[in-house]
Formats: sequence, structure tokens, C-alpha cells
Amino acid sequence: MKKSRFMWLSMAFLLFFAVCAGNLSQTATAQAGEGKTYSIGTDVTFAPFEFQQNGKYVGIDLDLLAAIAKDQNFKYEIRPLGFNAAVQGLQSNQLDGMIAGMSITDERKQTFDFSEPYYESGVVMAVRQDNNEVKSYEDLRGQRVAVKIGTEGYNFANSIKDKYGFTLIPFDDSVQMYEEVTIGNSVACFEDFPVVAYAIQKGVQLKTATEKESGAPYGFAVNKGQSQELLQMFNKGLANVKASGEYDQIVSKYLGSAKPGEESTTPPAPVSKWKIVSDAIPALLKGLGMTLMYTIISLFFAFILGLIFGFMKVSPSKTARAIATVFVDIFRGIPLLVLGLFIYFGIPGAFGFKMPLIVAAVLALSLNAGAYVTEIIRGGIQSIDKGQLEAARSLGLSNRTAMIKVIIPQAVKVMIPSFINQLVITLKDTSIMSAIGLIELTQSGKLIAANNYQSTVIYGMVAIMYLIVITILTKIADALERRTRRG
Amino acid sequence: MGKVQISNLKKSYGSNEVLKDINMKIDEGEVVCVIGPSGSGKSTLLRCVNKLEEVTAGEVIVDDYNISDPKTDINKVRENIGMVFQHFNLFPHMSVLKNITFAPVELKKQTEKEAREIALKLLDRVGLADKADAFPASLSGGQKQRVAIARALAMNPDVMLFDEPTSALDPEMVGEVLGVMKDLASEGMTMMIVTHEMGFAREVADRVVFMDGGYIVEEGEPEQVFGNPQHERTISFLEKVL
Repeated sequence: MKKSRFMWLSMAFLLFFAVCAGNLSQTATAQAGEGKTYSIGTDVTFAPFEFQQNGKYVGIDLDLLAAIAKDQNFKYEIRPLGFNAAVQGLQSNQLDGMIAGMSITDERKQTFDFSEPYYESGVVMAVRQDNNEVKSYEDLRGQRVAVKIGTEGYNFANSIKDKYGFTLIPFDDSVQMYEEVTIGNSVACFEDFPVVAYAIQKGVQLKTATEKESGAPYGFAVNKGQSQELLQMFNKGLANVKASGEYDQIVSKYLGSAKPGEESTTPPAPVSKWKIVSDAIPALLKGLGMTLMYTIISLFFAFILGLIFGFMKVSPSKTARAIATVFVDIFRGIPLLVLGLFIYFGIPGAFGFKMPLIVAAVLALSLNAGAYVTEIIRGGIQSIDKGQLEAARSLGLSNRTAMIKVIIPQAVKVMIPSFINQLVITLKDTSIMSAIGLIELTQSGKLIAANNYQSTVIYGMVAIMYLIVITILTKIADALERRTRRG
Repeated sequence: MGKVQISNLKKSYGSNEVLKDINMKIDEGEVVCVIGPSGSGKSTLLRCVNKLEEVTAGEVIVDDYNISDPKTDINKVRENIGMVFQHFNLFPHMSVLKNITFAPVELKKQTEKEAREIALKLLDRVGLADKADAFPASLSGGQKQRVAIARALAMNPDVMLFDEPTSALDPEMVGEVLGVMKDLASEGMTMMIVTHEMGFAREVADRVVFMDGGYIVEEGEPEQVFGNPQHERTISFLEKVL
């Protein structure tokens, strides 16, 4: 009875793993087939240039890229990584190109090759709609000003902050930056005009307070000296879509003809909270599915690592123990976020190859959890009385048989609560991988909030989803634990 | 040559020498009780016989196998050396029956069916025929130790080692375990017993070995060691325990 239950469990596990592996390899072959597919990085929250709408990525950048790709007949795959992650991905050759409302600056030209400019932007200062005190840069003295890391707005604000005496509060994406201003923590933010104008159109309670500073135009970027054919195709295609009038159609589709100070401040028809929730549910559920999948795959590998190193830790061989100790020390000692960044950007950058995002994320999660599982297994085995092994050995059983048939069945019962704990931790930790652009539950929420500017509702939903799933898993695991204890 | 032959055995843990030059022989069918104050090295000596402790120097030979030789297949030799522990060490996740049949079946000494028959006979012999399907947690200490003896006997060993088999028992349960051991002795089993039960040693042992400070201080027939001890340390020990 017990044996067959174990068999079923392992078979279900293998099956699941096979399905996952099958999915992964399917995507891989689809990419490798007929002609090169370019990986193009983009931001996740830079409306109207790129944002998610009804589960699809749209915006000026993306529509333009689509039009150019059609004109020039090349294939591409959009990688919405976030601006900073995309810049690093391009540098480390994880990406072939990047289009993300990226200003052409002399500094960036050192590292990247840019296309012809495709959009003339410019930075404006925005304040809360009811703020009538802050009208010029002079009014910022002694105040906090929100900016988004790596943007022209940041560079501009940084260049005048000493002259006008304000403090910069940096954020990773626009929605957080707007929120900072609308809740009143900072008095103003600096952002490219079309971006902030679009957000105001969408109902963000801000208004522009200055004329647009003439800034650097936007360009499509490739890594210096790389993917030159892609750059040429982009330039040719850009000229063609501009000539055909398609370019103007795309821009006016998102921006109309708004100028600073003239954007409509009449809020759009109020959307009910229930509508926001019901619209978000499908994408969030999909994100949750991904979170669960990454958790299970990562834990599977973590378990294998844990078994190998856990047994090395209790082995009589000094060398084996030392290797396992080094493994645990390294991967328990590096924060998961740093590990993820290093694996995804650092390693491919140093050795010049591409690493699929999923592989990097699963690797980081597996190594991190593997270190903890190693300790759980070591602790479990060592918690079993030494007399058990001696009794088994004194009957003539080999160390291996004694371990498998006598020690492990007892140790597993000791380990179960710790395994449940690790399951919950790893499930939550998948959210850390959103930093390298992994689309799971947290990142899905971020994408939706970036589009509808409803952070409170969306992150609330994300939190509840984590809570529900983790509670269910914990209850199932508790029941399982009770059963094993009885059996 | 004896069943068990120990020559010039030394055992140290780091700089702490626990056994200092032990020489000892146990003949086939002989029952030897090892007595002595705690810390005298008697349990360590016993554990050296089936290599639960690695010897530091000297030789241990059991059944013509040199246990101290690293080339000896220790698992093979252990099949013929039964061991009973102070704390029973039954496998808590197996039934009483499974505890007994586990090793013989695993090592392909007996088929599942044979092992079961043998186990039931052994359980009958130690007076626990009705406990075959029970789990160790539900047994008393005395019952556990009798199962442990049956478990060791199931491998059909020709030497049995007992490491203070009654020390962890409530006083009223000591008798039932000693009774089983006595039967075993009378059937001609070769036994080496580390014990504090002086009455048992006196009655059952063919030879008594008194150890102190890592040495064998005195040995001889029970009547001689208990009735007329020669060594000063034996005398003072026996005065305290008798």
C-alpha cells in the first residue's frame, strides 16, 4: 500500500516534469526554426510607448516595431523586461535589440549603436493636480522629487538638483513614481512628456507644470558592433513607414495632438472597482500558474541538489563533506536577487552566450532552495539516533541499504515540516525573479498596474492570491504530514 | 583457535586511549561475561568485535576472518555476529515481524516466506508470538529487547554480542530478558556479554572477565572471580556492586 502510494507520487512528478520540459523544448525549437528570430527588449511600464492591454503588449514603440518588421520582413520576439533589465540584457547579449523610449545620449552611444531617431521627446515636470504652489524649478527647493532610474527625466533632474536644491527619490517604474507624487510624498516628478501626458489622459491625478525641455530623441538600440543587419533593417523600415504615413497614424493613435499644459484633465469615465478586478483576474491567474510552475520545477531540481549534497554532508568522506559545505555556504550566502542578476546578466555577459530567462530564473531558485534543502536533509538524517544505523549495520546490511531502508524512511518524517516551509518560501521567492523580467504573479500584477494605474487594487489582488494558494498548500501539506505520522 | 580471538588490541579516540593491549579468546559455545566499572572500556571492546568501532592497533579475528584487515568484507562477517544493544534500536517504522525478517530477506539469506516462518518461531521462543504485527512503540522495554534478540538470531549467527542488554530496563523486566539469554546459553550459543548483572554472570558465564582502565585486570571461572578475587581492584569493585 505504502509502496504503491510512493510510486504514484513519483510517477505524477515525473509526468509533470516531462510536460514542463516538453513545453520548454517546444519554444526552443520554434525559435530556432526558419530564419532568425530577434529578441527585442522593452520596458513594461512606459505607456504610451509600451504597455500591456488586454494581455497584449501595445504602444507606439511596439506598433512601430511591428510595422517595420512587416516592412522589412524579419521575425522578432518581445521581451518586456523593464528598462534597466533590458539595458543590461542588451549589454550582455541576452537581447539583440531594444526599443523602450530610449533617448539617444552620448553616454549611451559608448555602449550601444542607435538607429535614426524615431521620436522627438522632451522632459516635463509634473505635479499633483491640486498643487498650485509648484510652478517652476525654483519652487522645488528643499523638496523631494520623484524620478525613474535610467531615464532622461532622471538625468535632467539630476543635472539641476544642486542648482535648485531638491532631493531625488528614484523609482524603478513610472507607476510607482506617479504614486509617490499623487500620495504627496514627493511634490513633483520628471518624465518624458508623452508618457506623463498619456498617464494623465488615463486618469492619473497629475498635471504638467513646465514647458517641455528639448531632450534627446528616442532611438532603437543594439549592442555596440552587434546585430548591424537588424539596425539597418530598422532604419530602412522606419524611413518607409514614415513615408507611407503609417508612422503618423501610430503616434496620433496614442497621443492625439496634446501639448504640455493642454492635456485634457477631465478624468475619463470612472471605472468600477469590480470591473478593474474582473479585468485583471485572467492575467493574474495566468501569472499564478506560472508562479506555481516555476516553484515546482525549481523545487524538483532543488530536491535533487539537496539529495546529492545532503548525503555528501553526512558521508564519511571529508572531501565530500567539504564540497557540500562550500555549496551550501555559497548559495545560502548570496541573496536570491543578486544570484538571479548574476546568473542572467553576469554569466552570459562574461562568456558571451545567451541564457533563456526561464533557465536563469529556475537555476537561481533551484540553487538557492537547493542549499536549504541540503540542510533540511542533513538535519533530518542526523536527527535519527545513531543506534539505528548501528543496528542495521550490525545485521550485515551495507551502509547504502541501511540508509535507504532504515534511516531515510524515518528521516523523511522529520523533514516534512521543513519541506513545507521551503515550498512556501520558494513560492514567494519566485516574485524576486520579476527583477530579471520573469513573468509570474508579481510581474503580471506590475504589468497590469502599469497600464491601469490601479496599484492598490492590483497589488491587493496579488497579495490575496499568494495568501490563498499558500494557505491551501500548507493545509494539504499538514494533512499529508498527519497521514505519514500515523502510517 | 577460538571463535573470537583478540590480540594486542588498542583503541584510542584522539589522545584518549580507551583500550590498552587487550588479549582475549572466546571458544565455540563459550559464554563470556565482561564486567567492570563504567568507563573501563568493556563496551568499546565489545563493539570492536563487529567493527562498530575501528581498532587502532592489534587484531580481531572472528570465524577466521580478520576484522581489523581493511580488505575483509565486514558486512559478510557481521552476518554471523548478532548484536543486542542497550537501547534495543528496533526499527520504529517496521512491525515486530518486519524488524526480524528485514535483514535476512534484504540479504537474500531467506525468502520472504521462510523468513516469516523463522521469525514466528523465534517470537514464540522469546514469548512474544502474539506481538508479530505490533509496532515497537507499543511494546515494553523488556518486550523490545526480546524482539531485538529475535532479530539478531534471525540471521542465524554463530556469535552473539550483548551490550548491557538489561541496563535500560525497569527492574521487573530484567528477568524476562535474562531468561531468554540463559536459554540461549544452554543451547550452546557462543556469547560475549557486557553486563552489570553479577548474579546472572555468576550463574550463566563460563568465564568472567573483569576490566578496568582499558586493561583486562582479572579473568577466570565465575566461582573464582566472584568467590576469590585476586586483584585489589576486582575486590574493591565487587565490594561496591555485590
